[in-house]
This record gives sequence, C-alpha cells and structure tokens, in this order.
Amino acid sequence: MGPHFLSAIVLVPWLACGASLSAMAAQAPVGTSPRVLESTIRQHCLVCHNDRTRTADLSLAAVTSTNVGEQALVLEKVLRKLRAGEMPPAGRPALATETVTELVGWLETELDGASAASPNPGTPAIQRLNRAEYTNAVHDLLGLNLDHARDLPADDSGYGFDNIGDVLTVSPLHIEKYISTARRISRLAVGTARPRAVVEKYERSPGVPDAAVEGLPLGERGGMLFEHYFPFDADYTITVRVRGRRQTGMPSPQLDLRVDGRRVRLFDASFDNAEVTQGTRNFELRLPFEAGAHVIGAGFLAEYAVAEIVSENADSRPGPGYLVDYVLVGGPFNTAGPGATESRRRLLECHSAADTDGTPCASRILTTVARRAYRRPVTAIDIEPLVSLFREGQTDGGSFEHGIEMALSGVLVSPSFLFRAPGALDEDGTRTGRVSRLTDIDLASRLSFFLWSSIPDEALLSLAERGRLSEPDVLTAQIHRMLSDPKSSALVDNFAGQWLHLRNVAEWAPDPERYPHFDESLRYAFQRETELFLEHVIRDDRSVLELVAADYTFANERLAAFYGLEGVRGGYFRRVSLDGTPRGGIVTHASVLMVTSYPTRTSPVLRGKWVLENLLGAPPPPPPPDVPALPAAAETSAGGLRDALEQHRASPTCSACHAKLDPLGFALENFDGVGAYRTDEDGMTIDASGALPDGTLVSGPRGLQRVLLARRVEFVETLADRLLTYALGRGLEYYDRPAVREIRRRVEAADYRFSALVEAIVDSVPFRLRGNSELPPER
Amino acid sequence: MITTGLALPRRTFLRGLGATVALPFLDAMTPAFATAATPVTRVAFIYTANGVIMQDWTPTAEGTGFLFPKTLAPVEPFRDRLLVMSGLAHRNGEALGDGPGDHARAGASWLTGVHPKKTQGADIRNGRSVDQMLADEIGQTTPLPSLELGLEDVRMVGGCDSGYSCAYSNTISWASPTTPLPYENNPRRVFERLFGDGETTDPAARAVHARQNRSLLDFVVDDAHRLQVRLGAGDRRKLGDYLDSVREVERRIQNAERQERVDLPPVDRPEGVPPTFEEHVRLMSDLVTIAFQADLTRVVSVMYSREGGNRTYRSIGVPDAHHGLSHHQNDPVRMAQLQKIDQHHVAMLAYFLGKLQDAPDEDGSLLDNAIVLYGSSLSDSNAHTHDNLPALIAGGGSGMLRGGRHLRYPEGTPMTNLFLTLLDRMGVQRGHVGDSTGQITHLGTL
Repeated sequence: MGPHFLSAIVLVPWLACGASLSAMAAQAPVGTSPRVLESTIRQHCLVCHNDRTRTADLSLAAVTSTNVGEQALVLEKVLRKLRAGEMPPAGRPALATETVTELVGWLETELDGASAASPNPGTPAIQRLNRAEYTNAVHDLLGLNLDHARDLPADDSGYGFDNIGDVLTVSPLHIEKYISTARRISRLAVGTARPRAVVEKYERSPGVPDAAVEGLPLGERGGMLFEHYFPFDADYTITVRVRGRRQTGMPSPQLDLRVDGRRVRLFDASFDNAEVTQGTRNFELRLPFEAGAHVIGAGFLAEYAVAEIVSENADSRPGPGYLVDYVLVGGPFNTAGPGATESRRRLLECHSAADTDGTPCASRILTTVARRAYRRPVTAIDIEPLVSLFREGQTDGGSFEHGIEMALSGVLVSPSFLFRAPGALDEDGTRTGRVSRLTDIDLASRLSFFLWSSIPDEALLSLAERGRLSEPDVLTAQIHRMLSDPKSSALVDNFAGQWLHLRNVAEWAPDPERYPHFDESLRYAFQRETELFLEHVIRDDRSVLELVAADYTFANERLAAFYGLEGVRGGYFRRVSLDGTPRGGIVTHASVLMVTSYPTRTSPVLRGKWVLENLLGAPPPPPPPDVPALPAAAETSAGGLRDALEQHRASPTCSACHAKLDPLGFALENFDGVGAYRTDEDGMTIDASGALPDGTLVSGPRGLQRVLLARRVEFVETLADRLLTYALGRGLEYYDRPAVREIRRRVEAADYRFSALVEAIVDSVPFRLRGNSELPPER
Repeated sequence: MITTGLALPRRTFLRGLGATVALPFLDAMTPAFATAATPVTRVAFIYTANGVIMQDWTPTAEGTGFLFPKTLAPVEPFRDRLLVMSGLAHRNGEALGDGPGDHARAGASWLTGVHPKKTQGADIRNGRSVDQMLADEIGQTTPLPSLELGLEDVRMVGGCDSGYSCAYSNTISWASPTTPLPYENNPRRVFERLFGDGETTDPAARAVHARQNRSLLDFVVDDAHRLQVRLGAGDRRKLGDYLDSVREVERRIQNAERQERVDLPPVDRPEGVPPTFEEHVRLMSDLVTIAFQADLTRVVSVMYSREGGNRTYRSIGVPDAHHGLSHHQNDPVRMAQLQKIDQHHVAMLAYFLGKLQDAPDEDGSLLDNAIVLYGSSLSDSNAHTHDNLPALIAGGGSGMLRGGRHLRYPEGTPMTNLFLTLLDRMGVQRGHVGDSTGQITHLGTL
C-alpha cells in the first residue's frame, strides 16, 4: 500500500513489550554456535518472545540448538530479523557483530541441513491460465496472433503476481467468456466464421510525429505500422486518416501505403483550402488480401512531413506538417473463402469429403491439437468426447470444418487446457510417499509457463514424453534454448512488469502542469528502455548485478535527450554507455523513478520502500492509521520534506523504519517525479545524501548503487524469492527459504549469470518436487 | 498501438436489424421487458472508495427538511427520493487483530459484513455479498442474475493492501466466500454481454448455437469430473467452484431460452472504454438503465473506484492521486481536494438517478421502483475508520422507502442490519447477513 507512506510512522510492536531489560546489557558470550543460539535467545529474545507475552505472536521458548529443523518456522523469522539488523530492536542492547555473523552462519547451515534431510516442497495448487498465458497458449497452439484474452475478466493478483494458483478463481463470468472466446477463436482458426464486414481502428502509437517508425522506410515520418489479421481471402478497405496543414510554398505531401513492406500506393495527399480548416482527410483504398496476418504501414515521405505538430490535442489547430491519425481496416467484401491461413494449415492435417465418414481424420486432428493444448499425451478417454462434439458440429454446420470448429471449442474450454495441475494423480489414482518428483510431462509445462508464459513447444513436449527432459544436460540445454527464444520476453512482460511495477508506466498520470516536458513519446521510451534492458540481461545471459549497476542502457533520441546523453539520433533504441552520468541500473530508469513518485512530486519514502521491498527483500511494516500531520511546508519544497522526515526519524517509533527507508529514497532525489535529472527543486539545492542506521553514508544514485552492490546477498535472494514465487505460482513459505539460499549460492558461484538463476530455480526442491499431503489416500 | 474494433455500421448496428432482434450473451439469450403487473424492484449498489470527508457529507439536521451539505448537493434534485443514513458501521472491516489492511477489508466487507481472511493468496475467504443474496431470489427470472461493473482498470500492480490479495480490493461482489465476481469495466463488453456480439441473428441458428453451448458445458463437466478424482482436497474444492460456475451458466442459458423475444430500445454499441472518467460513468449508467428497462437484470453493483485506487481527477482540478490524498492528515488543502472528488462522484450518481427518473416504469419511473445504495466502507480514510459510514439510499423501492429524510441510527449499528431489512422487505428471508444483529427501523415511515 503505497501513498500513505509519505508521513508514515510505524508503531513498533515490540516497544509495547515490558521495559525491564536495562539490566541485560551483557553481550552474548562467544563460544560454540549452538550455545550462542541458546544463550542469545535466553538473554535477548525471551523477554518479549516467550509463551506468555508472545510479542508479535512469536515465542522462542521451545527453541533449542538440537531442534532447529522442527523450529524452522520461527527460526527462519529469527534469521531474517538478525540479518536485517532489525532485532533486537532499537533501544535494546545490541548483539555484537561477530555474534550475529556466527549465529546467522550457523542457523543457515543447520536450517539448510534439516531441509535437505527432509525436504518440504509444498503442495502446488491447480492454476487457471491467466490472460497472458491464455493468449500465448492459443497463439502457440493455432498460430493466431491476436489478443485472445481481451474479453476475459482481469486476473486478481497475490504475492505481487497475477499467476498465483490460489488467487485465480473462476466465476460464472469466466465460464461465459471462456465459451464465447473459444467459439470465436475456433471459427477464426478453422475458417468457419461467417463473413461479416466490420471495421477495425488502429491508432498511431503516441509519440512525436517526426520519429521514424520501426518497420517503415527510414525516410518516412508521421506514420504508423501494425499487424492486422484478415480472416478470409477477400477484399478489404484500408482507410488512412491524415492530419496536417499545407505549408506555403511546399509541394503536396506524399503518403506512402504499404502492405507487408511493399508499397501499394503513393497518394498525392494534397489538402485543398476547405480541408485545411478541418486539417484532416481520408484516403481509402480497396485491396484484395489473402487470409492471415499482414503488416500495414502508412507514412509521409520525410521531406513533406515537417516536424512541427507538437500538440496531440485534437482541439488545437495543427501546425504545418502531416501525420497519420489512424487507419481503418474494413471488410471482408467479396469473400472468396477461408484461404490458406497458418491456423488452417496447422489444424487440417487431413481432410475428409462431405459424403464420407470424417471421424478417422477428425480423431487424428483432435489428437494432435489436444496433445499440445493439454500438454500431455492423450488417450481415447480424451478424444472420444471431442469426437462427439465434432459429430454434433458437423451435423449442425454441414461440413467437416464445422465439426472441427466445434471440437476445437471443446479443447479450448476443457479444464485440461484451462488448468495447470502439476502432479495430479495418475489415472489409476496412485502416488507413493509424502513427496514425489514431478514427472517430465509436468516439468515441461512448469518450465514453459515459467519462461514463456505459454504451453510447451513440440521439442519440450516430445523430450518429456520420451522421459529425457529431466536428464541434467538435456534440461540445461533446453533452459538455454528457451531463454534465447523471443518468447522469453514473457519474463519481461509478466515477471519484471510486476516485480518492478513497470506495468504501471502505461497508465501513470503525472501532473502535466508540474511536468510539462512529459509526453506520450517519453512514456513509450521509458517503457521500451527498461524492456530492452531486461531482455538484454535475459537473452545475453548477463550478470544479474547489472540490474542494479549496469553502466549502459538502451535509448532512442528522445530518451537520450531527456537523460542528457549526446550523439543519439533517430527513433531507434540502441545500447548506450552511461559513463559519466548519474544513471546506472533499473533504479535510475525513468520508468521506475516515475512509478515510485506521486503524480505531482517525488516521494523519498515511496522510493525507499520500493528499494527495500523489491531489491533488498526487507519490506517495512505498513504505517499505522492516523499518523500525525506533516507540516504543510513539507508538501511544497524538497527542503521542507527533508526537515519533516528528519523530525520523523527523531521519534523512536518512526525511526525504526524511516531510518532505513528515507536515506535510500533521498539518494534518488536528484530525479524528479518523471525521472528527469535535477540539481535543485523550487530554488533549493537538493541534498541527496543520508546515513543508514549502521552509519553507512548513502549519497546520490551512485551511493545507492554501492549500497545495493554491498548488499548483493540480499539483492540476489530477493530476486530469487520473487522469481521463484512467479515460477511456482504460489507464495513462498518458511520451508522454501533453504531453497532460496541455495539458489543464491549457485548464482554467486556462476558469476551471477541470469541463466544460473533460472537453472538453480529449476533444480530447486519446490520446483522439482511436490508434497502429497493433500492428496486422497492411496488406493 | 491501440486497437479498437467497432462494428459496421456502428450507429445503426441494432436498429439496422429492425430493432426487434436481441442478441444477448453467448448469442443465446433474449431479453424481455418486464410484463409483470406489479412493479419490479431493481437494486443497485454503488461504491465510492477511500472514504469521504464526513463534515461535508453529513447533514446537520435530522429528519425532514435538512440542508444538503456540499458533497450531497448534486443529488438535491432527488431529495424526495433520498434517505441519508448516518451511524451505520462495519465492525468487520476493522483490524480485529489482523493489523494493517483497512482498505482491503473495507472494500471486501462493504456488501458482505464479513471479516475477510488476511492472505496474499492462499485460502482467500470472505462472505457472500448482499447483492448476490438478492440475485439468488429476484435475479432468477432474468437472463443475468446480476451485473458487476467497475470503472477502474485493475491491471495496476503493487497497489493492493498490506498482506491482502488484490482479489479483496478488485470487487465488492462475492458469489461465495471463495468466489469473488470480477467486474466489467469496458462498456463494449457490457453491451455485448447484454445484447450479444451480433455473430448470429437468425433464430434457428441461434437455437443451434445455444444447444451447442450446452453441449460444450456438458463436455466441460465430464472432463472436470475426470480431472477431479485425480486431485488433492484443496484442488478438488477449487475445481468444485469451477463446476458451480459452469452450472450457473447452464442455468442462465436454459433460462434465456425460455424468454420471449421482444423489442429492445435502440442502443448504440459502445466502442470501448471512453477517454474520460465522466463519460465512462455516464455510459455505464446508461447501460445499467437499459439493462433495468429491458429486465436483463435486476441487481447491479458498480465500483466508481476501488480501495487504494489512485485515479487523478484533473477535470475537476485534482491532479493528485485519490488514495494518496485520502491520507490528508487533516491538511485543509488536501481535504478540500478530496471533498471535490467526493462531490464529483455524487454528481455521477446524480446522472444515474436522473436516467432512472426519466425511464418510465410501472406506476411511475424506474427510480420510483429502484433501490440505489450509495456509499463507502470507510468514513475517514485518513484514520481508517469503519464506523459512521457515509450511506444514502435513493429510489422509492416500489413504495417501500419514504425519502426526503436524514436518519441517524445509534452509533455502531451494523450496516448489515440495513441489508437484512432490505432483504426482508423484498421478501428474501435470511436469518442474518454478516454480523447483523437485527433489522433497522424507519425506512418507510417516520
């Protein structure tokens, strides 16, 4: 919960606990670790965390050095608090640094050992496909690249992600939408849709009109490019709406219309006087298209597209220059047939004449489709009901295709498609032992939904069917193959988009009066920078430490100008060096800086919280309600805010958290609410320095970077925690902590390569094993 | 690249079909105008999140003849059809030992009166919401038992309350303690759900289509049963919820097939989500009104905003984010900004009430026969207080409600007592709703 952090004071529960501890200032005696544990607990912890007081609902009374495994639930908490330096609390005698180090090391070893001896992988819940997974799965299954999930209800999230099995509930609305969506997709894929003329509107990506558009010739401006799915071999109309004003003395502008990269018409797009007042004009062309996806592009030849249309506001009169407003695609007209689309090619592997029994061919087709859709080998039990649907559809529609359409709808609404059920019992209901290994088939799905947010491809599935996927060499090779596949950008969209809150960039609404220089092309550039950067780290297998300390980023001309980088020309994003600039790492990306601000100002508290929570894994407790007011001056000036927060920290109740939060946030104060660099705010010089509770000075973004690199153990464990949560689709529990530590150690041992992180997750206990506690008794 | 589909020709989409063909959801349903001799009561629950500035909401005087405070001014024209209710509370929205998370608890408890289980995901549990209890009874003869709508896009991340899954903030309607009902925020999808997507218009084809949908549902049920026996207890329960939803849709299809086909008022098919909040609310209000008129549903819930939501309202001069502002720390400037939002939302309500008033119904207007509960589940968002909640009821409730009054109930009176009373007056017998302790008085009398 963000915003009320501005002035948060945190009630520290342990301060409420009795205060008779002043006599206990003695340090824990140094000795062997087991004794250190027991004496530390006795001397420092039990006064609050005993069976009677149970401060923060925690008692350590039952902990001894010989039952660490049994006490893992509480000891993992102890370990975390010790490592973060949060316990004993402020105002209590502190532990000696060497005591903490010794205890932490010993506890980790003991807890990891206990876990290795008796692993608890948790019990995965069945997971409904979320919207992203549904869209990708249909795309990979049928070769139809459309937003298939556009009608499905939005997915709820938990633990920071929207792929959490327990949270992905199913309402009647979902069922309605699954059915209508499956039927729409099936008609389109098989080609049984009835031709019905509709118009689709494509609007130009927001951005400055003088930027070249990727995919259009370099010399063209004010244009747009998009992919449209044409459902039939038929005629379609392309209507290009252009906006602009003829500059005196300039020749008529030339509008270039392209299909799949080839020019289909160069319009002499002259505006006459009457149209000048309107500033817009439509150019329409009717063309035959083959069914399937085609790329449509429209742009003005550069010499005619003067870059002076600044306002995107439709009310204002356009300046000189021309741009494409939007493009309408209408049709189909004169439909010739369903055509030879990718989906028909894939689906209709055999064909059956109308007067013959189509069942054998249908069974063949449905076996192929169901195997991919259900991510497992299928048997007659799976196929027979689909063949019944096929017969019904064939009878009703009068053609083989209508039968396939109906059966395909069945596949797409089947729980076997819509739910992932790792470790479901075998058909005979057997399962032995408390813990079992995931089958290769389940592993293939888990892997592909993890790295691709989609179903396994043929290579993965056939390896799994042959029982070879879990062979270590094979598995490693597959992981590397999957990471270098473009489909791994799902990790950027779905994992990083949520982990780093990047999904909020698209809807963020900075106050235009406060930040007049922010516009849609910057918003696009912010998003693109971080996406390209993360894709680079993933595909090129970079060190994950670059996430916090890269000396490079990706920028186009607009973003480079915004960042003050020289020598970047044009709309294309490229890798650029950040040497000699205050930036480096995602914390200094404008995307992150913006979504950790308020619409009208920065918030060191929000940014500090973001860093603690998402990079260091130490989320501060939420503030209590009804916090005392900050003085009004705090709202209006940087200095005022700093003063107010310093007062805040002077109070012991506040300081527990704010002493940790604020310096991390203040280090980023040189970036405003949309991430622009600044040295002063409203005439006051910005002071981007502060001291952490342990005395570490943090000054500016470089200082923050040093802190993050110094705390790389926490950073890597946090990244591992987040990525493991995402990979498993469940929240992590105390019994997962040994796995997180093991992942971190493997990443450290492999130069922090991203692939090592993924490999370690895939090899981890919770990823590869499953608990059977919830399963019905064995028969 | 923004892609927006629109039908061709858009403006005459339905009219072009002779205005006689209705194309409801799944291409199978046909709406029918209410033909009952007795007026049908329609119920809407409209939620405004993040509390309100109570001093500008609560009338000073009680009973009749009170002055409308600033925030309520936009609905003053409906004075005779309004009951402002003070003193109601949701104790189950309070922490009760669960610590922070008041926003999530507020949204989740508004219509349930139940203390939601604190969890990020595992084991989500709330209560059944009162709109769904009503839908069980008065929603069984309409194509859709209820309709859940909202204005915010819920894709924002990192915005849900401390330790609570976003499921608790993303809806106020719960079909069961474990099944939150997601809302539609795209008017076009709402339209298509009510009137169909126009894929099939021929009655015979539509009948075939409906039968095929039933075949698909049968197939799903069989498939799910085969999967179910292979799952653990938790997963079986979850698949059970899935099957419940499948059966509910089966019932809706059967129900729809029994409906008579009748004329529909001319409706334009919306293009998508309008660019401004105001247009968006108005369009949703239009759709609700027409859904009521055509008797497509009798129960609606609408979320103008969701708890913790951070919409900015630049159109009324509020560039700051709503939730952030709601922690105003008694700063007069921020309180004034927040009050503007409160009043703006009430102005949106006034638009909806006006639509209902203009829609003729048995014995008067839709408003005469409607019950519209409007309010928030926090009063002072800054302090996260769950008592003395802002609540008003608009509409005549088919003669059940007597407006023009400000009623003050004893402090701490459960909001659920109001729900229990409304259910009872509508002939829905429930022993209790959430934490209700009994019925409240004075709804229809002095």
